[in-house]
Parts: sequence; structure tokens; C-alpha cells
Amino acid sequence: MESVHKELLKIENLVVEYTSEDNIIHAVNGIDLDILEGETVGLVGETGAGKTTIAKSILRILPDPPAKICGGKIVFQGTDILQMKEEEIRSIRGRQISMIFQDPMTALNPTITVGKQIAEAVGLHEKLTKSERKQKAIQILEKAGISRERYDDFPHQFSGGMKQRAVIAMALVCSPLLLLADEPTTALDVTIQAQVLQMMSELKKEFHTSVLMITHDLGVVAETCDKVAVIYAGEIIEFGTAEDIFDHAAHPYTLGLFGSLPDLNSENRRLKPISGMMPDPAHLPAGCKFYDRCPHASPKCRNSVPDKRKLGQSHYVRCFYSGGNV
Amino acid sequence: MQNMTRFLIKRILWLIPVLLGVYVLVFSVLYLCPGDPATFVLGTDATQEELDAFRHEYGLDQTYIVRLVNSMKATFLDFDFGKSYITGGSVGDQLKVRLPYTLLISYIGIALAVLIGIPLGIIAATNQNTWKDSLAILVSLFATSMPSFWFALILVMYFGLKLRILPTIGVESWKGYIIPCVATAIGGAAGIARQTRSSMLEVIRQDYIVTARAKGQKEFKVIGYHGLKNALIPVITIVGSNMAALVGNSLICENIFSIPGIGAYLISGVNRRDFPVVLGCVVVLCLIFSLTMLVLDIIYAVVDPRLRSIH
Ligand SMILES: Nc1ncnc2c1ncn2[C@@H]1O[C@H](COP(=O)(O)OP(=O)(O)OP(=O)(O)O)[C@@H](O)[C@H]1O
Ligand SMILES: [Mg+2]
Repeated sequence: MESVHKELLKIENLVVEYTSEDNIIHAVNGIDLDILEGETVGLVGETGAGKTTIAKSILRILPDPPAKICGGKIVFQGTDILQMKEEEIRSIRGRQISMIFQDPMTALNPTITVGKQIAEAVGLHEKLTKSERKQKAIQILEKAGISRERYDDFPHQFSGGMKQRAVIAMALVCSPLLLLADEPTTALDVTIQAQVLQMMSELKKEFHTSVLMITHDLGVVAETCDKVAVIYAGEIIEFGTAEDIFDHAAHPYTLGLFGSLPDLNSENRRLKPISGMMPDPAHLPAGCKFYDRCPHASPKCRNSVPDKRKLGQSHYVRCFYSGGNV
Repeated sequence: MQNMTRFLIKRILWLIPVLLGVYVLVFSVLYLCPGDPATFVLGTDATQEELDAFRHEYGLDQTYIVRLVNSMKATFLDFDFGKSYITGGSVGDQLKVRLPYTLLISYIGIALAVLIGIPLGIIAATNQNTWKDSLAILVSLFATSMPSFWFALILVMYFGLKLRILPTIGVESWKGYIIPCVATAIGGAAGIARQTRSSMLEVIRQDYIVTARAKGQKEFKVIGYHGLKNALIPVITIVGSNMAALVGNSLICENIFSIPGIGAYLISGVNRRDFPVVLGCVVVLCLIFSLTMLVLDIIYAVVDPRLRSIH
């Protein structure tokens, strides 16, 4: 199925650091990630693993300082985003690539009406009259389940779920080719979560949008993702189709997260906590980053970083332990 | 919108007790302060009859309450501010002539302060920790610490006496307004710049600024529209406190530059125990101040929608 799809985004060896007063936080440490047209790729991992940093790097909206993209390429439709001029990347932002931010409570400007904020995004990329822009914003809001009467409301008049939907509407209003969805459902209760996912998948069908789905929720992964990248301390330690990851996980970390997955319909759909802590990104260990928590750790793991080991057509793992395919 | 109208009406009604309160207060202070206007105006060698006649003419022989009530009735019901003890001329007429000078100087001063202060603050904030920022901080720190009359004197010395390109006193031509307006503006501009800088620094870290960038908005508009709209809210408060300083400024500036405004009139009234003049000036200044604050409150509500829904 993948072979008919063309490559939309190719991240190669991306390295991102945050510089604080006395140390350097290695947030993203050489990540490769491909997203094909129309495909949804899940990005899962613990808090602080570097998921948001990756998404923001793609749009080049990391706060600088402290963030700095130190190396790598982000090739979008054949052009490296990191080499683009400011105007070029600006015409892509919101138009070809857009982002749903992690926290809808703070992502909307409190002093501008929600409708206007969405119409603004339209106006930046399409030559339309004021009333056409408004019409378009109203349409997308209604598609997101917000009635047109709320167009002139300010963010503080919206409930949390409505804000989340408005943020999603804003990201989708120009029908982007790539949507970076940073935990789009975490702020929502279960019923609205389902509605939002439904809405996203409809829009995806309609516009053939690719999605980078950042989430902690295995249910969301199972429901929406074609491929899954598992990220740990700024590295993708396992990548594969949803089936590979759910049924044939190889990395001990992935196994910990997904291995004993309970019934998807039960309450317990969150990532399973694994004992121990992710290493401090300011002082990363020399070898495998998972060494401290790994049940299969060997002396080799302590000193050298495992390379990618191919397990299937798109399935790979970064781990020396090969008996892991339980 | 209906909320807004209700809020406005409420605020305008509030003016009444404020003005009455200020009037009673100033009246009482003048009543209690030592020195008899009659002897002051007519001189120590005036006869008893002359003094009595004067006192009778201006109602000074009546009790405190009667005088207060009469003068309030005249002021607030007939808009009659009475006669000057010294000249015998109508205080109201004088106020009418003098008001435009004071308004012009104060409002141009404030407008100038806003026009200089806000861009300066934005430049400092968007160039945080660079030389531009440090320079802006240093200059504004210096400017806030110095009183405005000091600037006025420096400007007079340099542009008036040394370069001789601006008049040093009087406002016969528009050039006469330049130094007083700039002198009043400098301190205010510095305060506004500092507040703009700090609230802008706070605002540009917010998520919605990143959202605006992620939409593809130009950096100039991200800062000037999305940022400024939020950063302005605390700046308005500072502008408000500058308004309070406006009264003081007009007193000082009008005296330094011999501008025939309300401030100069007030000082002359105080110096000569000319109570109707003092009262008239205070009422007018209080009214200007209250109305300006009202306008600021409206601007507040326009800028911050969260406030609007509270009212
Ligand atoms: N502005 C910043 N300044 C300094 N360090 C930062 C900044 N933003 C993120 N980091 C650090 O970079 C690392 C990755 O952060 P990131 O936000 O990408 O994590 P995440 O995977 O999105 O986590 P979460 O699931 O909690 O959203 C973390 O160690 C974090 O502390
Ligand atoms: Mg995140």
C-alpha cells in the first residue's frame, strides 16, 4: 500500500539543542523520520522525549534562543525547510504544514475573536475578500462542531473542548498537506475525544492530509496511525507499521509501553509507566539511553549506541538485544 | 454592547460624587487655611467699612455651611464659578479662555509619550539582551528619574538660549508648544517604554504568539498585532498614572513657560487667596482628569474582551 504513496516529508539526522545558563539540553539527537502522502505517523514517548520539539522544528517555530537546530535536514516536497528563506517557510506555515498545539487553553489569542483568528489564517494564504474569508472560517468551525453564532466569541467564552476544536479548525482551514497534531485529544473528555478524532479523519479523507500524530494515548495510536515511531530521549528507538509496533515490538522500551496492552476499550489506554526515569537530556549517557531501565542490558549497551536494525519492510529497532521478539 | 452602555452610564454617574467630594474638600481646606482674603486683597490699610463691604459682596460674612451650599449651587447648577476677588472678573470666562492651552499641552504631551514610549519598548523587548535593549533601558531609567521641569530647563537652555531656534516662553506661535510638550512627554515616555518592554517580553513568550507564527503571519504583525494587543493592557494603566501627573505637570510647565493655562491660573489664585479661582481651577482639572480616566477605561474594555464581559 505504501508504495503507491509519494514521500511528503523526510527528516534526516535532525539534532536540536536547548541552551540554558549552564548546560546544553540535548532534546533531539539525530532523528530520521519519513512521512508519506496521506499517511498518519504516530510519535509516542514519555514526557520530555522531544516530540513537540520535533514538530516545531518542522515549522521552524522553535524559540531561538534557547533552541537551536544543530544539524540535519527536513526535506518537504523536495526542499530542505532548514535552508529556506524566511518568506518561503512563511508561505508554507499554515498553508502546507500546520500544527495543532498541545495546549489549546493558551494557543488562542485572548484579545481577538476566535472567528477572526481563523479568518486571519485564511487571509494569509488565499486571496479572498473579507466576507469570503469569514465564510470559510465559519464553514470550518461548523465542521468542527462549533455553530456560526460563536464566530464573534472570544476564547475565554469557549469551553476547553471548544477551544481544542477551534485550534483544530484553525490548523485545517487551509487544508494543509501535513498536519502536526501535538496531543490533540489530551485536553478532552472521552466522548469529545472521539468526535475530534472523527472530525480529523473526515478532513483527512477529504483533503488527503498527512498527519504526524503526537500522543500518549495508545487508543488513538491504534485508531488513527498507519506507522508509529517510538521516541526515547530524543532518539527514535523503534519504528514500524502500527501492526509491527503493536504485535511485533522488538525494543524492550516499546514492549514495556505496548507489550502487555490491555483491551483497547478498557479505561487503561495510556502508555504503561515503566519503572525508572528517562535520563536527564542535559547529561545523556554514552551508550544506549535506555541502559539504566533495560531488563536486557549488557555491558555493550553501556558503551556504544545501537544502530538501526531492520526487522521488516519499514520496521526497524535500535537495540542490540535480538531475542526481544517475544 | 448593552453591557458597555450600562458600564458607561455607571461610570459617568460616578463622576458626580467624585466632583462634589473634591469640591467640598478643597472648599473646606481653603476655609480653614489661615489668612483673610479681604485683608489680603484690600491691603492692611483698608478701613473696617471697606473690609465689611468686601466681605458682604463676596458672601464671606456668612457661615461655612451657607457659603459652601451657595457656592456649590452656583457652580454645579448654574455653572457659575463666581467672581475673582482680585479682578472682579468672571472666573468661568477665564477658565474658558485658558482651558485650551492646558488641554493642548497635556494631551500633546501624553500623545508624544505614547508615540515614543511604545515603539521604544517594543524595540527593547524584541531585541532583548542586545545593545539596543540595554541602551533603551539605560535611557529610560535616566528619563524616569529626572523631573520634567529639569528637562524643560535643559531644553530651554539648549534650544532657546544657545541655538536660539525655539522661543523660551509664551505660546504665540506653535513653536512655543514644542519645549513644554517635549518636557512633559519625556518622563512619561520612559515609563511607558519600560512597561511596554516588560509586558511585551511576557507576551512574546506566550503560546498564541507561536500560533500566530505557525499560521504564516509576518513577524512584524505577530509582534505589532498579536503581541501588542495583549501587551498594551498593562501599558494603559501606566498611561493612566501619567494622566495623574498631568495635573502637576501643567502647574509646573505653565509657570516655567508663562503659558496662560489653568495651571498658571491656579497658582496665581493660591498665591493671592483668590478662592473662587482656586475652586474653579480644581473643578476643571478634576473633570479633565476624570473624563480622561473614563476614556482610558473604555480603551481598556476595547482592548481586553475579558473585562468587557465582567461589566
Ligand atoms: N523552551 C525550552 N527551553 C529549554 N528546554 C526546553 C524547552 N522546551 C523544551 N525543552 C526541553 O527539551 C526536551 C524535550 O521537550 P519537548 O517539549 O519536545 O518534549 P515532549 O516530548 O513534547 O514532552 P511532552 O510529552 O511533555 O509534551 C525536554 O527535556 C525539555 O525540558
Ligand atoms: Mg510536547
